[in-house]
Amino acid sequence: MTQFEEQATKDLFDKNLITENQYQEITAYRALGIFSLNAELKLLLYFSALLFTSGIGILIYDNIDSFGHIVLLSTLLIVISGCFYYCFKNSKGFQKTETISESPFLEYIVLIANVLTCIFIGYLQFQYEAFGTHYGLATLIPTIVSFSCAYYFDNKSVLTIAITGLAAYIGLSVTPQDIFNSSNDFYDNQTLTYSAIALGVLLIVWTIYSSRINLKTHFTLVYLTFALHMISVATISNLFTDDFMWLLFTVVLGISSFYFYKVSHKQKAISLYIFMIVYAYIGFNLFLFRILDFIRPDDIWILLILLLPIYFIVSIVMFIKLIKKFNKEIA
Amino acid sequence: MIQDKNLLDNLVLTEEADLLLDAGFINKEQRAIIRKQLPSFKIQRNILVRLAFFLLGAFLYLSICGVITLIGISGENTFFKICCYLFAGVGVLGAEYLISQKYYRHGLDDAFILGILLNIGCGIVFTTDAYDIMLIPAVIVAIVSFLTYYRYLHLLSMLVFCMACVAVLFFGMIELQYGEQVLPFVTMLVAAGFYFFTKKRISSLTKKYFYNGLLLANSFCLIVFYLSCNYLVVRELSIELLGYEMRDKEIPLWYFFYFMTFTVPIFYLYQALKTKDRIMLWISFLAIAFSIYTVRVYHSVLPIEVALTLGGLVLFAIAWFSIQKLKNKETGLTFKPDRINNSNAFLNAETLIVASSFGLKPEVKTDSPMEFGGGGFSGGGSEGSF
Repeated sequence: MTQFEEQATKDLFDKNLITENQYQEITAYRALGIFSLNAELKLLLYFSALLFTSGIGILIYDNIDSFGHIVLLSTLLIVISGCFYYCFKNSKGFQKTETISESPFLEYIVLIANVLTCIFIGYLQFQYEAFGTHYGLATLIPTIVSFSCAYYFDNKSVLTIAITGLAAYIGLSVTPQDIFNSSNDFYDNQTLTYSAIALGVLLIVWTIYSSRINLKTHFTLVYLTFALHMISVATISNLFTDDFMWLLFTVVLGISSFYFYKVSHKQKAISLYIFMIVYAYIGFNLFLFRILDFIRPDDIWILLILLLPIYFIVSIVMFIKLIKKFNKEIA
Repeated sequence: MIQDKNLLDNLVLTEEADLLLDAGFINKEQRAIIRKQLPSFKIQRNILVRLAFFLLGAFLYLSICGVITLIGISGENTFFKICCYLFAGVGVLGAEYLISQKYYRHGLDDAFILGILLNIGCGIVFTTDAYDIMLIPAVIVAIVSFLTYYRYLHLLSMLVFCMACVAVLFFGMIELQYGEQVLPFVTMLVAAGFYFFTKKRISSLTKKYFYNGLLLANSFCLIVFYLSCNYLVVRELSIELLGYEMRDKEIPLWYFFYFMTFTVPIFYLYQALKTKDRIMLWISFLAIAFSIYTVRVYHSVLPIEVALTLGGLVLFAIAWFSIQKLKNKETGLTFKPDRINNSNAFLNAETLIVASSFGLKPEVKTDSPMEFGGGGFSGGGSEGSF
């Protein structure tokens, strides 16, 4: 590979597209022969955190009656305190902007400490009903802990846990594997839909407020991603309802798509933009389908099949235009 | 090959410019000038965009096939005999048109080219009625996918070609007498042979645009070699093919396969670090994980929770010591992020992994004491069974 890369750099230089200084700098850097294991080792740390906390979780769950509870709780507490001690000692403290920690371990220790705290609270609730029958509280407290950790230590992974906790508090499951399957029954449960949309709006409002007071603006993308998926999935699932509510949800989807169209340009986030287009396209197709279904034209379905390729070609041309426009505007 | 060679050369240069921009050697204006000066394909670099176009292309392809079916359905039997080839023809026309319009790695072209391969494969299976013996379809698909790779320089076709080749080898050996018994060894030999063959081709390569295809084949050989001597794969295939009834019995030469299951990944790891080969490094990681899984399937020494906890600790220790050791090195093997080649894309997936494994689930309000009311935690391996 290197032979081709060096050749390519030389070609760029020969065509006068990079300066001689740059060319020298690049060849000097390549000559160091750097083979960085940065991402790989970080990923190893990540998996170790995943394995460790999962193991502890199962260990405690399986042995909930056999160990002495006090022993178990105190061991867990000691480990958590140890982790938090390390975190507080090595972190720079709370800052309103993005903080980059020098220690590569801090991020993962924060994650471990946070997940273990959630396990601890879950255990307390299960064994002692510490929060009585207020199950909501048992979700809300880990959520609050996670939000504090995320903001104090500037940790995006913990922030996602916090947001899923917030959604869980209102009865939603927004983990990536659940949001699209049937664990959220938007179709039969209109209240859940309203909660999802309300939470999405709340997250959006929070990002606007954060950007006003300059509080951790790099978290915005995480919030917006959750908001986009929550609002869109909730509204699209409701486009099938029988009463005329679906018209309302079409309008909601339209408004949210417009908002995310604007905000994805502002954030220069192509992932938001693409998902917005995909959801809007699905919504639009369902809207067309509902209208056709309403008119019930009997004999034209053959015509429809014949027209379908043209419809898709038009869609593709539109898509290409939209992507081109986006790339030009954020460049 | 019908791709414009000039554009392919330009593509190499613009990709290099992208790398240099990411590494901070050149600035955005310079990259814009480079892109302007070197005309390129209609290409989608973002994987999400490419996937979206792939889906749209697939819809378009399907709708065209729908129209053809609507017209041809009156032909009844004869139509169903030839419909797959007709659809493949649509794919060829679409692909040729898109390539002539300079679409490359765009998503749309992927949809049509893969459509050709899929339809040819299905067509051959139906025509030869070969539901048991898949040898002929495998051979044909291998040939066609190689042709599409060579003509359109389409990387996914190369992947299909590699898989079809393995299928040819597999079904071919089954046809032979005693073929099943020597299958693992033959596969190992063939994989090793092709590995060195492709490696040699890469080192003597002068044209960059064949590099990716050869590299893919090369890495594929590594994976096939490992799998062909992995104990789990060999054992399960023996049971499947030879009808071995073995509850407690061992397969012949089991010590050899166990030996290989462990030495091959370690050797890959060693070799990858020595030759600074990032792809081999990733393959070795995956192979090590699969080897550990292999052992756990047959000899679960430790209960899962202890294994997970200890595994986490051991992994953490390994990472810790490696980082401490590499932290202050400036050249060669190092922990410092590389400005030019980095695997940061994988790090971006971290938040997604956390969200899916630790995400809190809503409380389930039931009276059963087994329901974890708070939904306080759901460990990664526990599949939310709390």
